[in-house]
Amino acid sequence: MKKPPAFTSRTSRVAAAATAALAVTALSACGAADTGAAASSGGPGDKVTIAVPSWVGAEANAAVAAHILEEEYDVRVEKTQIDESVAFDGLDSGKIDAVLEDWNGAPEKIEKYVDQKKSVVSAGDLGVTGKIGWFVPEYLAKEHPDITDWKNLDKYAHLFRTAESGDKGQLLEGSPSYTTNDDALVKNLKLDLKTVYAGSEAAQITQIQQDYKARKPFLTYWWTPNWVNEDVKMVEVKLPEWTEGCDEDPKAVDCGYPETPLRKYLSAGFAKDGGKPAEFLKRMKWTEEDQNEVAAMIAGKKMSPEDAAEKWVAENEDVWKSWVA
Amino acid sequence: MSTATDSARSGKRTEKRTAPAGARPGARATTWRGTDSASPPARTPHGRAETPAAPNRLRTALAGRPVLRRLLPLLAAALVLVPVAAALWGSGGWPQQLAVDVKTPLDDAYDWVVDHRETNPVFLYFLLHLSNWAEISVDAVTGFLLQLGWLGVITAAVLLAWRIGGAGLRGLRTAAVALAAFAVCGVLGMWEATMETLALMAVAVSVSVVAGLVLGLAAGLSDRFDRVLRPVLDTMQIMPAFAYLLPLVLLFQIGVPAALIATVVYAVPPMARLTSLGLRGADPGVLEAVRSLGAGPVQRLVTARLPLARKEILLGLNQTIMMALSMVTIASVVGAGGLGEEVFSALSTVDVGNALAAGIPIVLLAVWLDRTTAVAGQRVAEGADHEATGVRKVLHGRRAWALVAAAFAVIVPPGRRFLVEEWPELWVVDIARPVNEAVQWFTAHLATGVPVVGGTRVWADGFTTGVLSPLRDGLQAMPWWSLVLLAAVLGLLAGGWKAMCTAAAALALIGVIGVWDKSLDTLSQALAGVVLTLVLGFAIGVLAARVGWVDRALRPVLDVLQTLPQFIYLIPVVALFNVGRAAAVAAAVLYALPAVVRITVQGLRQVDAGTLEASRSLGASTLQQIRQVQLPLARPALMLALNQGVVLVLAMVVVGGFVGSGALGYDVVFGLQKSELGTGLAAGVAIVLLGVALDRATQRRPDRA
Amino acid sequence: MNSPTHDPTNPEHMTNPEHMTNPEHMMSNDRSAAAAPVFSVRDLWKVFGPKAGHVPGDRELAALPQAELRERTGCTAAVRGVSFDVHRGEVFVVMGLSGSGKSTLVRCLTRLIEPTSGTLEFDGDDLLAMDKDKLRELRRRRASMVFQHFGLLPHRTVLDNVAYGLEIQGVGRAERRARALETVAKVGLEGLENRRPGQLSGGQQQRVGLARALAVDPEVLLFDEPFSALDPLIRRDMQEEVIRLHREEGRTMVFITHDLGEALRIGDRIALMRDGEVVQIGTPEEIVGSPADAYVRDFVRDVPREQVMTVRRAMRPVAATEDATGPVVAPTATVAEAVEAVARTGAPARVMENGRCLGVVDQDGLLRVIAGLGAGREEVAA
Repeated sequence: MKKPPAFTSRTSRVAAAATAALAVTALSACGAADTGAAASSGGPGDKVTIAVPSWVGAEANAAVAAHILEEEYDVRVEKTQIDESVAFDGLDSGKIDAVLEDWNGAPEKIEKYVDQKKSVVSAGDLGVTGKIGWFVPEYLAKEHPDITDWKNLDKYAHLFRTAESGDKGQLLEGSPSYTTNDDALVKNLKLDLKTVYAGSEAAQITQIQQDYKARKPFLTYWWTPNWVNEDVKMVEVKLPEWTEGCDEDPKAVDCGYPETPLRKYLSAGFAKDGGKPAEFLKRMKWTEEDQNEVAAMIAGKKMSPEDAAEKWVAENEDVWKSWVA
Repeated sequence: MSTATDSARSGKRTEKRTAPAGARPGARATTWRGTDSASPPARTPHGRAETPAAPNRLRTALAGRPVLRRLLPLLAAALVLVPVAAALWGSGGWPQQLAVDVKTPLDDAYDWVVDHRETNPVFLYFLLHLSNWAEISVDAVTGFLLQLGWLGVITAAVLLAWRIGGAGLRGLRTAAVALAAFAVCGVLGMWEATMETLALMAVAVSVSVVAGLVLGLAAGLSDRFDRVLRPVLDTMQIMPAFAYLLPLVLLFQIGVPAALIATVVYAVPPMARLTSLGLRGADPGVLEAVRSLGAGPVQRLVTARLPLARKEILLGLNQTIMMALSMVTIASVVGAGGLGEEVFSALSTVDVGNALAAGIPIVLLAVWLDRTTAVAGQRVAEGADHEATGVRKVLHGRRAWALVAAAFAVIVPPGRRFLVEEWPELWVVDIARPVNEAVQWFTAHLATGVPVVGGTRVWADGFTTGVLSPLRDGLQAMPWWSLVLLAAVLGLLAGGWKAMCTAAAALALIGVIGVWDKSLDTLSQALAGVVLTLVLGFAIGVLAARVGWVDRALRPVLDVLQTLPQFIYLIPVVALFNVGRAAAVAAAVLYALPAVVRITVQGLRQVDAGTLEASRSLGASTLQQIRQVQLPLARPALMLALNQGVVLVLAMVVVGGFVGSGALGYDVVFGLQKSELGTGLAAGVAIVLLGVALDRATQRRPDRA
Repeated sequence: MNSPTHDPTNPEHMTNPEHMTNPEHMMSNDRSAAAAPVFSVRDLWKVFGPKAGHVPGDRELAALPQAELRERTGCTAAVRGVSFDVHRGEVFVVMGLSGSGKSTLVRCLTRLIEPTSGTLEFDGDDLLAMDKDKLRELRRRRASMVFQHFGLLPHRTVLDNVAYGLEIQGVGRAERRARALETVAKVGLEGLENRRPGQLSGGQQQRVGLARALAVDPEVLLFDEPFSALDPLIRRDMQEEVIRLHREEGRTMVFITHDLGEALRIGDRIALMRDGEVVQIGTPEEIVGSPADAYVRDFVRDVPREQVMTVRRAMRPVAATEDATGPVVAPTATVAEAVEAVARTGAPARVMENGRCLGVVDQDGLLRVIAGLGAGREEVAA
């Protein structure tokens, strides 16, 4: 059957309608959009957005900061669950005001936003020093005291064998967002190990907890401070000592991890116009013990972050009074 | 309730099935008008009777080797090409010379956008407007819902469900579902998060519906547009959301805008597909009648084609909602908040209980929306209220709406005077502790030390060493050309020349973008997952199809498995199967199993009762009945189950990345979390390509006689 | 003998409709047969397939039988060189087996299917020259169609379905509902206005289809096998309904059917189609009484002739002694009626019209007609 001539005109009509719709959209978008970069200011009732990466320590920082901000400055705090690296994009665009615990997991972003674009500014140290390394459970270290030196790891590699790692020892890794040089390290130190990426912090912790409960030997990438350390006692394996620049070339790394003073970052707009809340966040600084106390309440005792923060704030006025000054 | 993916695919299925049916000459012979309007083939019965005869003779001649006959040309071509290719590029993994570096340009593009997004007019005048608009509208809806207070929201939801359910007594069921769903959300302490999610859903679904309608309309009216749109929609559905979250974040910034658009991208396809399907499937008799009355094209569309497609469009809405809900958790990765964020923060403290408390509202929202839209669809199909009697006669049309409004006005304002807007603390029940304890107990008792059978961890280790590793190593050791050839052969056998080309090209493209080895790793896991899913699915399906109570008991379990955010069961999965590929496979099997069981049950049930009765009358035993009658007759359904299994297992590749699957899944997550556009996108595209290759190699297509 | 005998191989023979028209049938309607025909169709072709346009013009191809044509060109000629007129006020039936091209033909009449070649006039207007708007106007107001499968809109009530044609025309809501209500009553669907098509029986649905076509008050009603999908009893009712409507309104109708009984019952004239060609056009009586060829003869073999044929066919001239006695029958009476009269009285019956005796029918003449031997005698000139 011949196509009715109406067909072609129908198509063209649809096309015309689409064009019209596009044109309207374009017209409505005539003005340049608000980039949102300088949105926040520091008055009462304003909103402060804090990024919370997916680990408990960061949640403890955010919970305490939020509690004090709300109580002392009467601002609304929004905590946004977001990964460390992506959070910097948020700082850059002004959607996020503060990151309270950065492990230097995205050095290229710091370079881009802090050094070049200056859309993100450092707000000093958090006061906690992070230490990344390789850990074995305490019971294993007691059984084989020399296991805590990397040079002896090969001797015990067979203990760490799993189905995943085959005939090599398994070095358990965590979430893809973590800062790690372990692949290069294993290769350059010529260890009989194989990295196995758990893919998420939850998976890694679950694996550790299960193995610990079964008192199985394991070797894992781990860090302090960490709430899990309260329940799972682990001992660090000594890696070749970190020296300035030894990890410059990611492929040639043959040293352990440096101690990382955890840093705070603010979006440039908030740092400038954020008033007292911004000042407060810049001053906020506490110790590993403080943070662990809150983290343990949240993760270990399964308290809500708000309750944990409230409890800690009530008990530790001497610590935080100086922040609000 | 059926899940998103499952039914959306089934929508697609119908589409595929109807298209050739309309074109097949024989189909028209069943109607008078069909034959009479002189479609050429139907008019010459003699000619038709003769045509099959000749090839039949030919076929008899080649009987016994039909496979060989099909493959002959391909094998001949391979005989020439393979040695050349092998000589040129070797026979190991994918040759370096044939790979193209896609990562560098992508990473460069990333840098360019970051540097220019505050100055470039495309951003200032277009994309930023979009993201600001998204933010504002979601905020507005959230604010409205919170302003309404919990009493207001529940009352509104219940009344709406009652009205849509058909008012009167009939609507009480849907109303009860709504009441229960929202009450539980409150009781679990998730009220505010639920409202945030609901707001995001409302905006995302509205946008998806409008976009889907427009696309579906265009595809329904223009064949050319339909051909272009189809592969795009396929990609939108197979491409893991994690892979495109990063570009979205790049373009639309973190938080609600990126999440909203990611959700829309995922939720639009069913709406577009079903709208187009509905428009195309409209009764040609009605359309002709409308034309005979002199209706113009626009009149035809508005008064006939669109109303005739109402059922499909409503099903599309239902599917779009389900798809959108399945994105809730993923959306929170870029900071969208809501229930997804609750799930993730619970996971970071390895708190299954709290994750579940946040996951249950997602399931309940899904149940509520699914039931309500499904009932609406049913009523449209039935032709609704007009034959109403009794109460329903009073309660139809505007009167029922007026009653809804009145009831709302009577209940809410006074209610709010007495009750606070926030969900009362006292009514919150903490389920986290008991759930965590239960999970721990289970994992502890099932993981190891079970007498005789050993426990899940033992099995997992055995599965990894005995199946996954050899399979992966074997695939990786195979010469690259042999795998491409294998894909071609399978494609040719399953679907013909076109399928062959697509399958081989998809596999080759994986090599070209430089993720050959990782893709084979993922492929090995996917294959193992599919086989396991099918074995388990068929076994459970056969059991459920024969034993009524098993089926009834399974149904809610399957529903929950399909709607519960997969992230919630990551922790038990790791606890039971160890970090690694076995855990990833287990998660994938859990996800794909429900659809496979369903399709199997349905396929077995649809087997002609007469045939079954005949075999029983011949004294066949139960096993003989299953093996000789039910399974062979249910073959089309089983093939579909295979295809679904493949698609769903691949959909879980990324989630597998969260429990130690490594390979492509890990790369996708890595790309997002480390802002490595090149790595993430290349891995995402590779997953799509694997999906395409496997789909073509397993799905029987109409172009096979 | 006046009644035409056709040479089936010569289509020219049938293209002169006057030749076959029984004027009396035309006179039974109050409109004049002399007026211009409503539809005038000449040498109409519809060919499906590649390069369909070449077939009608090519003498050699056009003469090929269906199967060969398909082999040679891949084309199928659904309608081949059909010519006929439809007169105002008549019921023109196109009848044929499935696949004979009749449904294609009726669709060509409003260009729902675009004819390949030929001429087609409606009320003297060249239908094939009409542009889209004119054609739409024609479909909206002048020719409405009733379909085999009803083609109702399932989401609308009966009333809205009936009003649909008016809605398309742009008639205001109140007026179209009023007019639709009238039409609904006319087809006997009172009280069902607010039902949906899905809640009605097949027969009721087709009444809606009929009402929808009637509601726009068209000059011509086209029926495409409207009752084929219905049960026999309901079909009968619907046929009566159409006959009644025609009696009351005298609207011109083109009626497609594959059911000979239906064609004979409601048709004023019947065009019999086979393989896209019209084999014979004539009144039911002509078709049954004087089949044009073996095909038609075979077709009408089982028709109860006594119910179709009129006494004219059995008449012989009046013998001198006969014009005063014997029962009287009208010239339109069927043979069956005459048989009854003759059997009752035992004497030949007189065929009287306006007090004039046209002739007589006796046992012998009636039996010959029933036996299909032909009247054997000249019809007495009126």
